[in-house]
Amino acid sequence: DRGCALHTAARDGLSSVSSQDIPAQRPRAVFHTSESDPAKHTEQHEGRLYNIPLEEVKAVFPHGLPHRFQQQIQTFNEARVMVRKPALELLSYLKGSNFAHPAVRYVIYGERGTGKTMTLCHVVHYCSKQGWLVVHIPDAHLWVKNCKELLQSSYNKERLDQPLQASVWLKNFKTSNERFLQEIKTQKKYMWGKQESTEEGRPLREVVEQGLARVRSASDAVGVVLREVKQQSHRGSFRLLVAVDGVNALWGRTTLRKEDKSPVSPEELTLVHNLRKMVMNDWSGGAIVTTLSQTGSLFKPSSAYTPQELLGKEGFDALDPFVPIPVSNYSPREFESCYGYYLERRWLQHEKAHTEDGKAELQFLSGSNPRQLDRLAGPL
Amino acid sequence: RIVPVRWSRYNPSYLEPEAKKESYQKPLEELTEEEREQMELKGVRPIKAAPPTLSSSVFSDPMISKFTNMMMKSGNKVLARSLMSQTLEAIKRKQLEKYHKAPENEKETIECNPYVIFHQALKNCQPIIGLSNITRGGKTYQVPVPLTDNRKRFLAMKWLITECREHKHRRTMMPEKLSQELLLAFNNEGPVIKRKHVLHKMAEANRAYAHFRWW
Repeated sequence: DRGCALHTAARDGLSSVSSQDIPAQRPRAVFHTSESDPAKHTEQHEGRLYNIPLEEVKAVFPHGLPHRFQQQIQTFNEARVMVRKPALELLSYLKGSNFAHPAVRYVIYGERGTGKTMTLCHVVHYCSKQGWLVVHIPDAHLWVKNCKELLQSSYNKERLDQPLQASVWLKNFKTSNERFLQEIKTQKKYMWGKQESTEEGRPLREVVEQGLARVRSASDAVGVVLREVKQQSHRGSFRLLVAVDGVNALWGRTTLRKEDKSPVSPEELTLVHNLRKMVMNDWSGGAIVTTLSQTGSLFKPSSAYTPQELLGKEGFDALDPFVPIPVSNYSPREFESCYGYYLERRWLQHEKAHTEDGKAELQFLSGSNPRQLDRLAGPL
Repeated sequence: RIVPVRWSRYNPSYLEPEAKKESYQKPLEELTEEEREQMELKGVRPIKAAPPTLSSSVFSDPMISKFTNMMMKSGNKVLARSLMSQTLEAIKRKQLEKYHKAPENEKETIECNPYVIFHQALKNCQPIIGLSNITRGGKTYQVPVPLTDNRKRFLAMKWLITECREHKHRRTMMPEKLSQELLLAFNNEGPVIKRKHVLHKMAEANRAYAHFRWW
């Protein structure tokens, strides 16, 4: 099936054809595109799925892909991401942005399961292909809930450290940005406790190694990395992308408590404090792309999806001049594309799923919502 | 179709609800005389309330619904149904991974459809003959006895569920264990098939008492 020459030729030849003339013999070939560089994606490729080679997936996304998508990559042995309008819009803004001006903030919002995280991952893939330094926080909500160890910070007595979350993030940051850690040098001497210190002019890699080796100072290491990267981005030697998923966690409430059972507010956590400084637009030479997320959020009603509801007054004022990017459910063309992909990869095994009735039922039951379609197509 | 009537509180004039779309899409000319009478009756007689298990979906399967109901505990159908769908998905994933890794000539032998696997596994687990307790002269004998289709299906499903519930590690999830058992039963291996064989052997051993059966 895959090795047939006509099939691959049809795929390559038809990828530049618009969807109006779908040929009757090979309808499935239209849903793929052989363009695996996000920089070359245009409206022509809208609704089609592009392939990310598995080595790139491991290098660019050590964390950050949704769990269901990771399972899908393992089952199908390939990573196919759909090119959708919000992502194309964001990419065009990034291509045309002036890096001498302060960083522009983009907030991707939408109802549950419409593809905000996947849009963010598309943008992250584009930026890492272009050679930007990507600071990707997979889910800010993980930093404000379910923390087993909270240490009092040695740098500032009022703040609290989270060694486990910080060390996990440092490990993943190291995998995704190997070459930048060698090139960027520290501009100040940092003291880790009484004996250890990192001199001025040492590569950032040493700070990261220090954070991984001494887990107690991992949160401080994260703070140092973020500060250095922010200060050096305006020089122009590299572009910086700050990608935060679930940015509404930074300004909400936490479920963590101190030892005297009093609640912890987000400012008192070192990681959150440093991340808030990153998301401010007082630096230049890059962009900040964030996503709102109700699914992991704390103390927010499940029907809330707009920036005003999820960020609250404090968060909205802090993020204030931002570019909102709404993400909605699948258009009919995108639904056809997703359905065709599932059929081709033999994911829809039920006999009735191949019929028109089955397709109409899937579209009705899922309401063209990507997550619902994925969940419904699972057992079928 | 046999409709349970003995304990039904409905007046006999009430008709059963019809959920299949195809029966409403036929034009009037194609109907036979009986069907035309049925349609006229439906316009006049009252209709019973549809039970929650009745579905007009093309994907509904009576065997899967029965199995989900048997897995349900204290009326939590939401949980039972989600476990069932996770089981089917787990079976599909395992088979698809095997399919993609297999060489070309073996690809056709690997069955990826979770419904086909489920039905075949249940068929393989059904016992042919059962045992029943009959008391003669103060002693109870295990007498081999033929089973009805319903009883066979029930026993197969019951054995699968009890096997998964009891011989499962505390940390393994039910869908994972169920998918394992279903795949083993599909290949005629596993503890449920063994239990079926044990029952058959007992029935064979007690052949002598077969004449105690009077029905």
